[in-house]
Amino acid sequence: MAELSFRNIAKRYGDIDVVADFNLRVEDREFIVFLGPSGCGKSTILRMIAGLEEISGGELAINGKVVNDLAPRERNVAMVFQNYALYPHMSVYGNIAFGLKRMKIGREEIDKRVRSAAKTLGLEGLLDRRSTALSGGQQQRVAIARAIVKTPGVFLFDEPLSNLDAKLRNHMRVEIARLHQQLKTTTVYVTHDQLEAMTLADRIVLLRNGAIEQVGSPREIFERPNSQFVASFIGTPAMNFFEVDLAGASAPCSKKARLAIDPARFDLDGRSKVVVGIRPAHLRPARQDETANIIEGVVDLIEFLGNDALITFKYAGEEVGALVPAQMSPRVGDQVRMTFSDDNLHAFDIETGRSLAKRSQGRP
Amino acid sequence: MARNVSKTIGRGVVAIAALLVIIPLFWTLLSAFKNRVDIVTPTPMLFFTPTLDNVLYVLERESVRAGLINSIIVSGCSVLIGAIFGLPCAYAVARYPMRVADDIQFFVLSLRFLPPVAIAIPLIVIWLDVGLYDSRIALIVTYSLLTLSTTIWLAIPAFKRVPQEIEEAAFVDGYGPYAIFFLIALPAAAKSLIGAIVFSFVLVWNEFLIALMLTTSDAKTLPIVASEMTQLGRDVPWGILNASVILLSLPPLLFLGVLSSFLSSALKTRKQG
Ligand SMILES: Nc1ncnc2c1ncn2[C@@H]1O[C@H](COP(=O)(O)OP(=O)(O)OP(=O)(O)O)[C@@H](O)[C@H]1O
Ligand SMILES: [Mg+2]
Repeated sequence: MAELSFRNIAKRYGDIDVVADFNLRVEDREFIVFLGPSGCGKSTILRMIAGLEEISGGELAINGKVVNDLAPRERNVAMVFQNYALYPHMSVYGNIAFGLKRMKIGREEIDKRVRSAAKTLGLEGLLDRRSTALSGGQQQRVAIARAIVKTPGVFLFDEPLSNLDAKLRNHMRVEIARLHQQLKTTTVYVTHDQLEAMTLADRIVLLRNGAIEQVGSPREIFERPNSQFVASFIGTPAMNFFEVDLAGASAPCSKKARLAIDPARFDLDGRSKVVVGIRPAHLRPARQDETANIIEGVVDLIEFLGNDALITFKYAGEEVGALVPAQMSPRVGDQVRMTFSDDNLHAFDIETGRSLAKRSQGRP
Repeated sequence: MARNVSKTIGRGVVAIAALLVIIPLFWTLLSAFKNRVDIVTPTPMLFFTPTLDNVLYVLERESVRAGLINSIIVSGCSVLIGAIFGLPCAYAVARYPMRVADDIQFFVLSLRFLPPVAIAIPLIVIWLDVGLYDSRIALIVTYSLLTLSTTIWLAIPAFKRVPQEIEEAAFVDGYGPYAIFFLIALPAAAKSLIGAIVFSFVLVWNEFLIALMLTTSDAKTLPIVASEMTQLGRDVPWGILNASVILLSLPPLLFLGVLSSFLSSALKTRKQG
């Protein structure tokens, strides 16, 4: 049981500000995912929670107690590393028991807890194995068992699945989700894989250059991205963006693009140019009589994805992707005419990339 | 086809090189068990009645026994000192970034590159002044410089090869820096570290020049004693000489045989992918 609170946390290496003014509250039992591109400071923040990295400024509190200067063991956290970091000279049993031995727990109690953790992760048959004689998935399971056996207040995961192949990654992702349902331990999970973030997180913290870009549930982040960066980072295939010129139109819309931008939903504030975004999945073939929100072009690429096909065409100088059911897929060279519903349009400031959506107008 | 040819040629070259090394050694081994007549005969003899006389003669000599004891004590102590002080030092250099780390590495290397005479001559003066010339203590201290520098030099990359995350995991598991050194870093790097220690042992066991200059009678080590066998008389006692060479080579060869995998892992400086 633990809650975390970050107040103005900063991290500097020499003159470089890696993290500046990071503020966040993580509730008890919450599963928080730090998501962001490589080098944005995810691991750095996680390592500051673990006590592996000094905190340059601000206050980090676990359960209300400031832990800035406490050693890892006094923070009641457990961490799972990307490359598993198993102790190579110990057996699986030794690896799982190692942290407990330091906690001055009786032999029998250790044995009981090691076996129960091993059982949770399906490692019963492997306890005597050398930790180096395991497959990647098994090693990661040992690493997770090593973390849960300590019954810590907070679990910290640093890209725990990125060394596994795709199939195993899906499998372990489900296991981690189950484990959290079962244990309900507060978790901070770092990844750059948006699928992991979307499926695991109670809340996603989207980071960019050491600063929070947006915090919210996976759904909020997907449906109401705060900025063009978030919109482009979340969702596959990636969102389409166009610059739209609003000048000269009586209604705030672009003649050329024939995209209506509803002033009731967006705070246009006299802007003459905006960036609009529309997800490929929200585009659908337009009927002949539809004239609003039309995007058209000649298909130049088709990627078959199984149920769907991603078609790509040029429109207003931009590559546009659209997902269509595979059996309805056009051919390369076909003229396509797509449309979308007003609700699915996003608009961003052309300079700052901030979303122009009126917050109160957001859909539920 | 061309690849096969070049492979065959390559193998041939390696085989010839190996033979060049092995034949004299093999001949030495044979000669150690030959009678004098069989050795000096102009036609080399592969088959002969073996004798243990040479080996027994060598082993029974007081000087050889004294030299053996000296060698064991001196090598053992200096290797121990090199390990006890060298390993923590190497770990500190490998793990904790400090300004002097590079200087330490340079110092250690410079010891290895200096000609031994350059070290030995000032040391003679020092030990004479201190009154410890021709003592085991003097040799142990001097050799400790060698074992220290060798151990540090080989142990730094060994410690660097231990993934940092393993130590961090132990840190999060609640262990302090000393516990991490003894419980994690040492055992995780053990293979390479044992290699480094064996290497430093072989180095001082075989050391000749410094021992020659720092000892006259009491503290003579086995290589010195063995070399003196050539001066036994006008007739070179080839059999005895060969037998002493074999005895001298046994410990390093045994180490090499048993620990070759450790050695190769100590001498490999880059992390394998
Ligand atoms: N010891 C250091 N000295 C200087 N800069 C550092 C140091 N460690 C990390 N950084 C910088 O801090 C930034 C954040 O690093 P961090 O490892 O937290 O990124 P990340 O988000 O975890 O990236 P990835 O997804 O690649 O793991 C990077 O730009 C990195 O270059
Ligand atoms: Mg990282």
